[in-house]
Amino acid sequence: MGFLAPWFLAGMLAVGLPVFVHLLLKQTSVPRPVSSLMFFEQGTQSSTRHRRLRYLLLFALRVLLVLLLALAFARPFFRHKNVLASDKLLLVAVDDSYSMNAKADGATPGTRLDEAKRGALEAIAHKAPRQKAQVISLGGQMSLLTQPVDDAGALRAAVEGIEPGDGHGNFGELGRGMRAMAETVRTPMELDLFSDMQSSNMPGNFADMVLPGNVALVLHRVGQAAVPNWTVESVQAPGQLVDTKKARVIAVIAGHGTPAATRTVSLVVNGAAIATKKVDVPADGRATVAFDGLDVPYGESRCAVKIDSADGFPNDDASNFAVKRADPERVLFVHQASDTRSPLYFGAALAAAAQASFVLQPITPEQASDIDPTKYAFVVLSDVPSVPSILENALLRNVENGGSVLVATGMADSHREHIPVYGGNVEDGHFYARGSAEDAGFATTGAADASHPAMRDAKGFEGTKFFYAAAVDPGKARVAARLADGTPLLVDKQVGEGHVLLFASGFDNLSNDLPLNPAFVAFVDQTAKYLSGEERVSGARVVDSFVQLRNPVNEQSGNAAKGATVDIIGPDGKRPLSLKEAAAAESFQLAHAGFYQIQFANGRDALIAVNPDRRESDLQAIPDDVLKLWSGSAGTGATETAATESAADATNNASSLWWWVMLLLLMAVLAESGLASRYLGTQREQP
Amino acid sequence: MLQRFLDPAVLHGISSLDLVAKTVVDGFVAGLHRSPDFGFSLEFAEYRAYTPGDDLRHVDWNLFARTERCYLKRYRGDTNTQLTILLDASNSMKYASGAVNKMDYARYMAASLCYLAIHNQHDPAGLIVFDDEVRNYIRPSTRPGQLYRLLAGLEQAEPAARTDFGKPLKHFQEFLRRRGIVLVISDFYEQPEAIVRAIEPLRFHGSEVVLFHVLDPKEIYPDLRGPAILVDLETEQRLEVIPDYVKTQYRAKMDRHLEQIRDRTQAAGMGYHLLTTDKPLDLALTEYLTLRRSGHTSGLGGA
Repeated sequence: MGFLAPWFLAGMLAVGLPVFVHLLLKQTSVPRPVSSLMFFEQGTQSSTRHRRLRYLLLFALRVLLVLLLALAFARPFFRHKNVLASDKLLLVAVDDSYSMNAKADGATPGTRLDEAKRGALEAIAHKAPRQKAQVISLGGQMSLLTQPVDDAGALRAAVEGIEPGDGHGNFGELGRGMRAMAETVRTPMELDLFSDMQSSNMPGNFADMVLPGNVALVLHRVGQAAVPNWTVESVQAPGQLVDTKKARVIAVIAGHGTPAATRTVSLVVNGAAIATKKVDVPADGRATVAFDGLDVPYGESRCAVKIDSADGFPNDDASNFAVKRADPERVLFVHQASDTRSPLYFGAALAAAAQASFVLQPITPEQASDIDPTKYAFVVLSDVPSVPSILENALLRNVENGGSVLVATGMADSHREHIPVYGGNVEDGHFYARGSAEDAGFATTGAADASHPAMRDAKGFEGTKFFYAAAVDPGKARVAARLADGTPLLVDKQVGEGHVLLFASGFDNLSNDLPLNPAFVAFVDQTAKYLSGEERVSGARVVDSFVQLRNPVNEQSGNAAKGATVDIIGPDGKRPLSLKEAAAAESFQLAHAGFYQIQFANGRDALIAVNPDRRESDLQAIPDDVLKLWSGSAGTGATETAATESAADATNNASSLWWWVMLLLLMAVLAESGLASRYLGTQREQP
Repeated sequence: MLQRFLDPAVLHGISSLDLVAKTVVDGFVAGLHRSPDFGFSLEFAEYRAYTPGDDLRHVDWNLFARTERCYLKRYRGDTNTQLTILLDASNSMKYASGAVNKMDYARYMAASLCYLAIHNQHDPAGLIVFDDEVRNYIRPSTRPGQLYRLLAGLEQAEPAARTDFGKPLKHFQEFLRRRGIVLVISDFYEQPEAIVRAIEPLRFHGSEVVLFHVLDPKEIYPDLRGPAILVDLETEQRLEVIPDYVKTQYRAKMDRHLEQIRDRTQAAGMGYHLLTTDKPLDLALTEYLTLRRSGHTSGLGGA
């Protein structure tokens, strides 16, 4: 405790005033004359005691008044250090990533997660009674399970409520979360991390793991013994197939810290093993096993590749994938009657790719008036200057409802400004073959967006010569590829729930030589999957990845799918989305391993297999020196200054007591006034 | 209208004691005229034949004119009754809770009685002022100027010492050799036995003795809300008392004291009246006239 103006304490000498008035100054009472004391008797003892008591109370109040007044002027403050044990925030972080499902050490029952929860409960039990603590789960992402509370019951309940997760742990996520928390929480924190310290949980950059200065990291490693583990690392299988005999499933069996062994690999379809193979897995290595033919019934099938590992981590001995068997989908190819090359090249590429899932149906614009585009996987408008308005309107409605159209603007379109369905105009046509002598007579691709599904395997149309390209304003549409002169070559425009993909050249081998390029097959394959929607739902996903349920609503696409709900049934058979979320959610995180049955906003159904991140199968722990470096990084290095400032704040934290003194002063004044008025009132009654 | 001047609070505003006495008596007498019980004018008694030596002033000349016989007219009138007022002038008489203290009240009463006796009744009136000694003695008389001597004596009677009935009353015996009416005005802060023992000998001469016990209302019902220090006006002794005692035991003692005085004085053949300073003075005048008319000293008296 200190005083901002201690010299005012000299005012306490004024306490002599009430002392003089009450104790030194003789009390004079006005005596009352009476005719005779003949009938009176002495009552001195009781009355004097009563009066003395009351006067002492008044005296004490007046002394207190003077002392408080002097104290208030001296501005007292209370200096306290907030580094007490009860002021330190205890953060109990439990790793519930997929690897925590592995068995604990031989002597410890249960899984690693059970051991981690026991340790967390013990840490909560040993905290100071008034110390606040917070429980954090660290799976695929960092989650704060409680607020900072001192209620041990609530903390225990939060720890006990942690369920095994399927996510991939990342200590970089923990470091980012702690740094964000340190911006709001100034008090010292102690982070008790209960984890198997899996090396795959380390981020690429160690700096991401560094904790802020006011966080003291205490590591509690669970499952310390190295566990050899075999796993199905990956499965390559078609998402959609037509011919079951042509289907091929390739699985990679990996061993982490394992000796060389022979493993039995089974292909399971809808719960029944349809094929089994043995494979020799080298020590701490990988082996590939292939299954020819995938005999699945029509419709969606839940498939998996399993091994008989009999190791300490049985959860990762299977890898799921979903297969849809259906008849080939038709692709409407609208071309001019004079153009016979385009359907030829496109059809050949389509047949070669996509495991023959699509069948091309060429048609001229005149024949396409009464075509219903919803019966086709997607529609290709190949160098068609104009289409019947009925067809164009039908195509627009189809696109807005989730359909897709591929528009190729060949040289025939160069004379027409309007591009059907796309909604834009051809501003100019670049005939590179007519260029000057300095020019090579063609153009090549300059930039390609490999992240676009259509360009994923096209290798940027490398080596392709473009002799003609239409100049189209992409507007807000996504440009997936540009020519060397900057002309947009492949433009993806979202309309409603669907997409219009504009290829600014043709498929006729005249405006470019792409149809003769091997990249054309990959381009057609990926484009067909993308436009048909198969790409979005095929294949297996990783836990914590997102699936897009509906396209984002913007001013161009309108609100075609607004109000259309999605339906998701999780691996546990429950619907994870509420009705409100189902009506508005644009994406969904696949948080658990297993099969998700999803009905999208555009009406398509899909069965999506979700597998845990296979990095979790490598149970190798982070080396101790790295862990020491990490736990020692808190409060060192770049954060040392912050720690010093924090400590300085802790030592200089002072609370002013002025308001409390003034409150007491007010109470003393009121009490003194009340008491003194009672005395004065008594004296007035005396004559 | 004059009745209101019997109120001591009103009389307190009148500075002159003779005016006070005149006001009181005139108001009192005016009130008596309305009462048939209190006629006191001289009554005709008989005619007596004139004998030489009789006072010619009492000859009924009207009768002589009718009958040519000389008769004296005789009345049944009051004989002169000597009135002696014993006024206590001790310090305790200074006590007052209102405008009028006990001494003033006693003075008003004594002055009124003297006025009534001398001016209306032609009775000789005297005054003895005492405390622990006889401070002043004015012999009863009907001489001209007697009333003013009495009033002057009352004016000079200031409370000075403490009360002691025993000592001055020995001298009373010497002063009161003729029987008459003796009125003792005091607050009687003394033991009832001592009071009666001191005053009772006055009756042995055949006098009617009446005690006017003058007290302040607050002496009978004191109002004490908190502990206080009380000072005895006579002894200056200080005493600290508490309200609880005053409310209970003091009142009981005072009631017992008043009851004993009344019982013992009446048992001794003396009259007793308790007067508080907030009451009108007519009670004292009525008592005096009642005593005078009771006839213990009455007889036929000629002029």
